Amino acid sequence: MNISANLSSYSKVRTRNNSAWLLPKGPGFPHALREGMAHFDDDDEVDIVIVGCGAGGGTLAQRLARAGWRVVALDAGPFWDPETDWVSDERGSHSLYWTDPRVISGADPVPLGSNNSGRGVGGSMVHYAGYTPRFHPSDFATLTNDGVGADWPISYADLRPYYAQLEQELPVAGQHWPWGDPHDYPFQAQPVSGNGDVFITGAQRLGIATRVGPVAIANGRFGNRPHCIYRGFCLQGCKVNAKASPLITHVPDALAYGAEIRAHCHVSSVLVDDRTGHATGVTYFKDGVEHRQRARVVAVAGYSIETPRLLLLSASKRFKDGLCNDEGQVGHYLMVQGAPQTAGRFESEVRMYKGPPPEVSSEAFYETDPAASYKRGYAIQTVSPLPITYAEHVIAQGHWGENLREYMRDYVHWSSLGALCELLPRYENSISLADEVDKHGLPVANFSYSMGDNDKQLMAAAQSTMEHILKAAGATETMTIQRFAHLVGGCRMATSARDGVVDAQQRTFAVPNLYLTDGSVLPTQGSANPALTIMALAARVADQLIAGQRKGPHPKAVRHV
Amino acid sequence: MVFIANDNRRRTPGSRPPRFPGFDVLDEVERWDAVTAGVVLARLSPSPELSFFTGVEQATAEALCDQLLAQHDDPRVPVAALIDVRLARGETDGWHYADLPPDGVAWRRTLAFLDDDATRMYGSAFARLTTSEQASCVQTVQSLGKQMWHDLPAHQVWSLWTRYACTAFYSHPWAWNEIGFPGPAYPRGYKNMGLDRREPFEVADSANSAPRSDAAR
Repeated sequence: MNISANLSSYSKVRTRNNSAWLLPKGPGFPHALREGMAHFDDDDEVDIVIVGCGAGGGTLAQRLARAGWRVVALDAGPFWDPETDWVSDERGSHSLYWTDPRVISGADPVPLGSNNSGRGVGGSMVHYAGYTPRFHPSDFATLTNDGVGADWPISYADLRPYYAQLEQELPVAGQHWPWGDPHDYPFQAQPVSGNGDVFITGAQRLGIATRVGPVAIANGRFGNRPHCIYRGFCLQGCKVNAKASPLITHVPDALAYGAEIRAHCHVSSVLVDDRTGHATGVTYFKDGVEHRQRARVVAVAGYSIETPRLLLLSASKRFKDGLCNDEGQVGHYLMVQGAPQTAGRFESEVRMYKGPPPEVSSEAFYETDPAASYKRGYAIQTVSPLPITYAEHVIAQGHWGENLREYMRDYVHWSSLGALCELLPRYENSISLADEVDKHGLPVANFSYSMGDNDKQLMAAAQSTMEHILKAAGATETMTIQRFAHLVGGCRMATSARDGVVDAQQRTFAVPNLYLTDGSVLPTQGSANPALTIMALAARVADQLIAGQRKGPHPKAVRHV
Repeated sequence: MVFIANDNRRRTPGSRPPRFPGFDVLDEVERWDAVTAGVVLARLSPSPELSFFTGVEQATAEALCDQLLAQHDDPRVPVAALIDVRLARGETDGWHYADLPPDGVAWRRTLAFLDDDATRMYGSAFARLTTSEQASCVQTVQSLGKQMWHDLPAHQVWSLWTRYACTAFYSHPWAWNEIGFPGPAYPRGYKNMGLDRREPFEVADSANSAPRSDAAR
């Protein structure tokens, strides 16, 4: 895209979201904006209280604040400053993850924390790789088309305009996208490193199509956000402000329009008036003291583990088995993607730690292959584990001691690919409350996960494809680690309360002014990284709330811009 | 100027002949941001006064970590001390297996089990065994796979030990020197991406031989 086209799209983006222009010119967060932030009293009935300020909550807060809603967003973790709080170091990035206790169980327990769980303003997108693919139209009707999974109560067409909006706001860089609903990206693709070269070369030799992107790192400056410096620590929080996360893409604009974002506030329950059946606010712990924030609408955006946990913790006389759980749907159909990673050894030095781990993708295997014995498919992407994570790959081969050291000394010669396999939703994959409690005395989540036969076949197929690609590129040896990535589902969207927790508007079936606006509502997951879809869903909910608001913008609404 | 003692310069664990001769990530420390430099340099000198492990546990933990990471010679990356810092602060990975107690308790119990095994098999505490005796105790746990070791699933204990040990070891500048990884890269970044392309501060691999392991032979 040429410069003049970019400039004209910039002005359009700015009428919707000015965040990138509110950031300081250089690293860090705009502290004046934070210091001038609105403060609402706990007893003040705000228009909406949002639980969690990540992909879903951050986007919703920005949209509603801009429409004049009086917004309070609560986040359990810190309000980050990328310059002073984050480090260019793998081990030192521990505080980015949700590390409150959680229990994992089932036949295939799924590690959490650094793998898929964020904490603090910006949520998991602070430490996601940066891949932002759209879902395919087929993802919304897998039950009808393939006889597996579930149909969504909405279609791709409902999300399409929001995908396009958010791709401009993040913004996303990538080549023309030929898969799913073909589309272009606002920024040209980034240059690729040795790791991306290996993938493209191997795939080309096998006739497998690849594309560079889609990655939420502008290829150039964007507003006051600097150009990427190819430092490779995308998963440790982008100190540069080049990689998108709601902290820099939506929160600044939300603050400018008068939203209050209250950090270090751990929400302990959603309050529902048993007489009216309406939500009246939330209770939360700050510095060990329990508060309550009143609100006329409550939106929960705590992601697939904390959202169902919060509903289960919010049991009342009316909702004995947990809020919105009369039909036994809360916490169920929780999904992860099968994410085997295969590394290959090359004579050349690959030095995969250089450049963003997210570079090149292929969705050539995304759709159901009529010739295969399994349904649905997988995507393949570059991944570039740093040394600590790479050591897990070596350990997974059974090496330890001298052999571990030997393989690790060879690190610069290895290239790495990752697959995202669409594992199917199963009722028994779920969140329940454990006996163990957190520091507030609240029972923690127990996440039970087991794979089905289709799932295992998909993971084996993806591994085999990655091995072929690496060998075609010249790898002399490969090694694979079996793992999982991303969380979605747990409070899924459905046409009826029997099948899910929220309706097509993401309003809970049980409580008319309670919304779930995060990844927990996804009925299926495709083979796409979920961040963009979670944001697009939240932007869509915001539009509907704004269109249907019972009163206009509140007279007290603050406008700074 | 950042002061780094000479005994931390050009170091690799065990002072082995380096595969990346002359490479020292600490040469670039002046080009790291201050927050990152603070976090990384603190690893060079964790307090030798451990606060989580008891004396007995410390001895067992050090011997176990030396086994897992083949640290048989000085200088050693202080792996057990770095794990102790984490456990004392309760810095877990944010999850534990349902069949394993929370990480701190699991560490204490499994270290005690190792001593039990050592005493039963060789009549002495784990830390006092020969290197090969220790290795055989450790191999026993790995070989059990999904079977129980004492009352815990062996593969989950293995996961706990190796996660903590590798996180500590491969967060240390000496280990980065050994593998040719330049560590922190902000605000410097990288300019020369692509196969066989190096920055001025990166050093070419002088050996370039595919890994040979017992498993691969």
